[in-house]
Amino acid sequence: MTGLIGIGAGIAVLTGLGAGIGIGIATSRATEAIARQPEAKGEINKTLILGCALAEATAIYGLVIAFLIIFFLK
Amino acid sequence: MQDIAGRLTEELQSKTSFTIPFFGGSSIPVPTSAVVTWGIMAFLMILTLIFVRNLQMVPKKPQVVLEGLVGFINDFFTDILGQHGKMYAPYLGTVLIYLAFSNLMGLFGITPPTKDLNVTAGLAFMSIILIEFSGIHAKGFKGYIKSFAHPMPAMTPFNILELFIRPLSLCMRLFGNIFGGFVIMELIKLLVPAVIPVPFSFYFDIFDGLLQAYVFVFLTSLFMQEKLEA
Repeated sequence: MTGLIGIGAGIAVLTGLGAGIGIGIATSRATEAIARQPEAKGEINKTLILGCALAEATAIYGLVIAFLIIFFLK
Repeated sequence: MQDIAGRLTEELQSKTSFTIPFFGGSSIPVPTSAVVTWGIMAFLMILTLIFVRNLQMVPKKPQVVLEGLVGFINDFFTDILGQHGKMYAPYLGTVLIYLAFSNLMGLFGITPPTKDLNVTAGLAFMSIILIEFSGIHAKGFKGYIKSFAHPMPAMTPFNILELFIRPLSLCMRLFGNIFGGFVIMELIKLLVPAVIPVPFSFYFDIFDGLLQAYVFVFLTSLFMQEKLEA
């Protein structure tokens, strides 16, 4: 039973995959944008942080669900 | 393994520092997060009192730094909210400073208040009230109700759902980041007690803490700006 709970928590944390890909794409595009237009760096950085924060939320939900699975199914 | 799970479960519960006896035999429990918050409040108040004494027209060294910091916070929020939203800058700035300090508490071995789900839930609740209030204040009650059908009437259910999703996401993001960082730090310390945790501590305690403080107020002000404009 403990093993199955562990596997469930591991599957929940797989949400990190999407967040990682999303933040990676956003950062690569932001780097390109800054290289093309260095004077717009401030605006680009702000938008990038916003996008990263929103993309990261899915990973955090996965983490919270994993904690809940471990703590409350024991 | 069972040992770690037990300790994490223990850490997840909000601990009680002491209880205030209340008449009738009952008592009010005071959580650790509240005590640490009082400490941060006292510290910030003392800093304020020290640095605000004898301000001069021609600023000296500490005053220059102070003016720069206050100017940065004011400009940051006025930039997002516009001139109409200037009145919300002091509250958002206070939350920013409080969150930055409380996220950095882990460095000194004190439990960060933001590791308690109740604290982040309270902050998120305050944020959503402020967001909706700014909408009512800017457009009047009628305009506020109308703004639920903003891009088109079909969007109304989603706009109503957002009322609950936004505070939930603000709360969970802050709590999840701080608690996740804490858990990972504990696991690393368990594996290698010396040297290796230092760079990780820089990331999880300093960088991530400050970034999450910034993201929390940044998102709150962005949602407010949406309510002010739309």
